Amino acid sequence: RRGLGVAAGPPSTRQLREAEEAAPVFQYAGKAAKRKDRVFVWGFSYSGALGIPSFVRPDAGWKKPRRVQPTPYRLETEEKISSAACGYGFTLLASNTRDITKVWGMGLNKDSQLGFQRSRRDQTKGYEYVLEPSPIPLPLEKPQQTRVLQVSCGRAHSLVLTDSEGVFTMGNNSYGQCGRKVVEDEVYSGSHLIHQLKEFDSRVVQVVCGQDHSLFRTKKGTVYACGWGADGQTGLGHYNITSVPTKLHGDIAGVNIIQVSSYGDCCLAVSDEGDVFGWGNSEYLQLASVTETTQVNVPRHLPFKIGKVKEAACGGTGNVVLTEEGNVFVWGYGILGKGPNLIETAVPEMIPPSLFGWSDFSPDTRVAHVRCGLSQFAALTNRGELFVWGKNLRGCLGTGRMEDQYFPWRVTVPGEVVDVACGVDHMVSMVRSF
Amino acid sequence: LNAAPGRAPRQRVRFLPAPAPGGGGAVELVAARVPVLADHPLVRGPRFRKLKIGAGHRLDVKSSGVFVLGIGHGNKLLTDLYNCHLTKVYTVGGLFGKATDDFSDTGNLIEKTTFDHITREKLERILAVIQGTNQKALLMYSNIDMKTQEAYELAVKGLIRPMGKSPPIITAVRCLQFALPEFQLEIHCLHETQQYLRKMVHEIGLELKSSAVCTQVRRIRDGVFTVDDALPRTQWNLQSIQEAIRNCQLKVEAELEKTL
Repeated sequence: RRGLGVAAGPPSTRQLREAEEAAPVFQYAGKAAKRKDRVFVWGFSYSGALGIPSFVRPDAGWKKPRRVQPTPYRLETEEKISSAACGYGFTLLASNTRDITKVWGMGLNKDSQLGFQRSRRDQTKGYEYVLEPSPIPLPLEKPQQTRVLQVSCGRAHSLVLTDSEGVFTMGNNSYGQCGRKVVEDEVYSGSHLIHQLKEFDSRVVQVVCGQDHSLFRTKKGTVYACGWGADGQTGLGHYNITSVPTKLHGDIAGVNIIQVSSYGDCCLAVSDEGDVFGWGNSEYLQLASVTETTQVNVPRHLPFKIGKVKEAACGGTGNVVLTEEGNVFVWGYGILGKGPNLIETAVPEMIPPSLFGWSDFSPDTRVAHVRCGLSQFAALTNRGELFVWGKNLRGCLGTGRMEDQYFPWRVTVPGEVVDVACGVDHMVSMVRSF
Repeated sequence: LNAAPGRAPRQRVRFLPAPAPGGGGAVELVAARVPVLADHPLVRGPRFRKLKIGAGHRLDVKSSGVFVLGIGHGNKLLTDLYNCHLTKVYTVGGLFGKATDDFSDTGNLIEKTTFDHITREKLERILAVIQGTNQKALLMYSNIDMKTQEAYELAVKGLIRPMGKSPPIITAVRCLQFALPEFQLEIHCLHETQQYLRKMVHEIGLELKSSAVCTQVRRIRDGVFTVDDALPRTQWNLQSIQEAIRNCQLKVEAELEKTL
């Protein structure tokens, strides 16, 4: 009941203004609000590589198993993940913390590529499929001081790079890709063995896994390799297995290499002067610009006149490089990103920057990084957008559709994408929230 | 309009009886051009009694800017222009710190929030995300098969555009001014309504963990017509209208040729 002294009718402007000023002010984010780092995964989930157990084994009655996650899905992690790598059906996540647990793994573990995961049902056996990010125990001498810099995954083996204790390798070693002597009839499943590699000419700064071989790049700019060599991917001048990391020569002898890349059986290296060197499988015209042979076992300089190269990435059948100006060049075989008509080329072709968001409105949008999966490509722009293209195997592109993508397509991720790791049928990205 | 000299009356050839040059009573038929009596202005009346005026894309009561009208035969061109699906450009002004029920500053206040943590960088990041998602929508609603070579070529040139009905799509956003708590954006869009733009301002406020209301919506370009071609209130007279129509005719024809 209104009092006798209060006027009736709609409130006047002055009353409205006073009511507005008297309203409480909410604060959702202060000036020091920090941006959170998150991990998003998408792709094929039945191998456990996405790290979300309810996709494989639903924990509630109404949930159904999800075979493919077609759009980015957030993965909860305990620590901030600084490096991630996708292998063939498994994933490694690493954080550069000083805590004891630094590396987590999930997915296929039939060759102990995720170390030994003790099964809770039977204490003597290990898990063959790891559905959740589980810590990998590394035999570190100083576990509370060493930091993990980078991880890399191949078909059935994985490498972990630390800052002061060399490289740790685990997984399948039938071709010597773990850097230790091949033992005949070795059973890799449920193995506790994690090998440590320390003998290089200087500190190792990058590790890269090919399908069944491993590459190590040291601070001095030299490249070491070990593993299977039947396609010449070890680059050591022969086609045999190498079980000890050996230095590469050929055209890269004496050259300061700043980046190496490999995922299938072909390898690329970039020097500090912007030159590209390649070796390995060339059945898909990856190295056809210098040679007609399909296997190259010595690093050869690829004389491309595309400008100074900043970064290179190797896929199964196609390669991509990024130049200093921010242009993306692709060559090889498969869906290269220039429409369905371009299936194979031996000479690099540029992808127009307008497909990556460059326009008259935003002329300073450029590609900052390029990554390769087995038959997919990914590009990160300086605005934090992720573009993918290639074969959409089991939903690994993350576009929400199951069709192949013939030109770069944006992936909608709620945040600014900082890094992405591509695998055969899944991808992992590290994102900073707004 | 009626005062302007109308069409000259039709002339017709009529055989009139006129006295023969020879003299005498014989009447000869001489062909002469004579104005038709039915065309005389007094018989016909004023030439224009009604004018058919059609309106182009709608403009809200609370917004301002370019508004395209078609007169008479121009109405047919209006439908053609609508089918061209050209983008419209708006300047949208916003204010941080308030949230109202109809997303503009004249509505009922719902909530007030702090906004001192907002910087121009954060705003531009959000705008980039908006552009990204709308770019995807643009490609999806254009109904072109993504697997063809022509889809790739159109995408490179940036010419992919929905040629039918579609929800509002924003092709480009840019921040023109940023002075807390006010900011101004330039938005290029298709198939939108002004209320959708105000809702977008509100959503930008939510994404930045604050709230925003829209203070101003002004259309500065509608297809080929820009603010320079438009006539302000003071120039709503016959001469300016005729001149404006003449100036725009070429542009409209060129655009229709290009698209259809």
